[in-house]
Amino acid sequence: MKENFFRSMTWLHTWVGLLVCWLLFLIFFAGTISFFKDEITYWFEPETHTVTHQDNRLAKQRQQINYAVEQLQNKAADSSSWRIYLPEPRNPLYTYSYAEPKQPGQRRAKFTETYLDPTINEEIAPPRETKGGYFFYRLHFDLHYIDVRTARWLVCLASLFMLIALITGVVIHKRIFKDMFSFRKNKGSRSWLDAHNVSSVLALPFHIMITYTGLITLIFMVFPYPAQTVYEKGLQQMFNEASPIRARVESSDVPAPLVSMNTILDQVYTKSPDADIGFFFIRDANKESSRVSVYLNTGKEVVDNGAAFLFSGSTGELLAEQGKDWSASARFYDSMTALHAGRLASPLLRWLYFLCGIAGCAMIATGCIMWAKRLRERLKPQQQAGVGLKLVETLNLATLMGLPFATASFFIANRLLPLEMVARADKEILVFFLAWLAMTVLAIISSSKRQWQLAAWLNALVCFAVPLVNAMTTEGNWISYLLTQKWTLFCVDFGFIIAGSLFILQGKKLRTASKKVSTRRFQKPKDLKEQQG
Amino acid sequence: MMELLQFSLCFMAFNCFALAKFNHFREVFKKKLTDKQRHSFLATGWITILLSLVLSVLSEGGYGALLFCGYMALSVLMLMILYSFTVSWVKHISILNLSILLLSCFSVMIF
Repeated sequence: MKENFFRSMTWLHTWVGLLVCWLLFLIFFAGTISFFKDEITYWFEPETHTVTHQDNRLAKQRQQINYAVEQLQNKAADSSSWRIYLPEPRNPLYTYSYAEPKQPGQRRAKFTETYLDPTINEEIAPPRETKGGYFFYRLHFDLHYIDVRTARWLVCLASLFMLIALITGVVIHKRIFKDMFSFRKNKGSRSWLDAHNVSSVLALPFHIMITYTGLITLIFMVFPYPAQTVYEKGLQQMFNEASPIRARVESSDVPAPLVSMNTILDQVYTKSPDADIGFFFIRDANKESSRVSVYLNTGKEVVDNGAAFLFSGSTGELLAEQGKDWSASARFYDSMTALHAGRLASPLLRWLYFLCGIAGCAMIATGCIMWAKRLRERLKPQQQAGVGLKLVETLNLATLMGLPFATASFFIANRLLPLEMVARADKEILVFFLAWLAMTVLAIISSSKRQWQLAAWLNALVCFAVPLVNAMTTEGNWISYLLTQKWTLFCVDFGFIIAGSLFILQGKKLRTASKKVSTRRFQKPKDLKEQQG
Repeated sequence: MMELLQFSLCFMAFNCFALAKFNHFREVFKKKLTDKQRHSFLATGWITILLSLVLSVLSEGGYGALLFCGYMALSVLMLMILYSFTVSWVKHISILNLSILLLSCFSVMIF
């Protein structure tokens, strides 16, 4: 009975994991990178690198909002929407924008943005057109090119499979604490098993948390039935009631002057004396239906939707406050989203999140490599590999080596594509997928050890090319970033140097491994049994 | 400094858990682990890991619990590398860990 139970759990772990491991690797990889979404976007916009973080950030927020509103009144008094983004620790820029009139057939209005250096309060040239870190963020759950709803269903199913694989993995891993720090080198598939175990166990709380909270973030798409039963108008009504500040009112044509922003800010600071304002949105300015929404940053609180206020823009009256009377379940849902997104994280926690994310990627990668390796080791000398094994090996090489290659190419494309190119942001993304396609073609040709070695060298080459191309095309380089203490930019460049060095190590390791294999071919195959574990 | 103290405690805890294993102890000290030593390592490990968790949660609440999970991951990763590739460094790193622990503890108490 007990043996049967463990056998069935092992079966479930293997197949549930293998079925979705490549998609899971993409989700984990993109998710891990998006922990540094804002930092990557900053790197992608070298035009803004001259902007430095301002001192006394909070003390200047009132003045900045008043200045932006004054500018918007002069530039676009009739616009349906104004947005003001204040500088924050991860983004030193101060931006205001207004919606252009919608063109026929256009779903969303286009926004014209103005970028300011907050330290001197002067406009700077708009940065190049790019998606930056936002691309990885959307790739994490929208998978690009695929219809959004289908993609999110796929991501949800993959997460569910991951959760099952995690639970069954804990069940079948009998020596979970005994082997906690053990990694046996050069032992064939036994080493891969150790790497798989260590990478799963070291960040197990994170893996379970991130998979569970990931499912929770999309739960209303997967399971909308309770909301559809309780609310007459379904999910939309539920969301409107939970966040009344997002509810839209009918736009009126009756003109009414916009109230002084100080009237609104005084109320915000009375309610929350240490308020750190993140965004300041105004809809239908100078009309009777005018609404002003003020969103506060959450700091280190484990909440995703922090305090926010909705005011009438014509009277200055407080109309709604977010999160004040939320039920326990609404707060639970919000904190789960906060845990998943990690927007609350300070640099230390952000790096720890990143480390755990990398451990997750390593867990998935070692899992799928191990499956192929074990099957290949069990093949008899004259036996040919089956279609299944070949497919897994090809997908392994294409995904595990293709994604880092595509990412580095995406970074290089940002620096090398002409600035005046039409739809430049989309072209950068196209480079990402073309680079991935190139690695896939390489994997289809052959997925032998030599091909892995070639992929490792190529990856090392593109990784080292990123800081090099950056140094040649912009005014800074990773040494000047170090000297001027521009840590965000330094970390991106240095991250690629470390990744490149790891790929060189991998290439060297693969070379010695293939040499060993070729010498062993002429010897008697002795400890095969031990390798199979 | 508080974060350094929490991490040092967590690292020390996992180091004790590793040394409470016969194979790891033998690799580091070249002698057999006695039952008494094993129990002392386990007790120290549990006390320090709980202390690290309590300090993290007391100082930062839910955010501290998240940090603690990160400290655990980083500690296990560092120890795995240490015990698998550079086992001769374990003694030196343990002394360094203890020194950092004491220093951070003093500085937290003073400031």
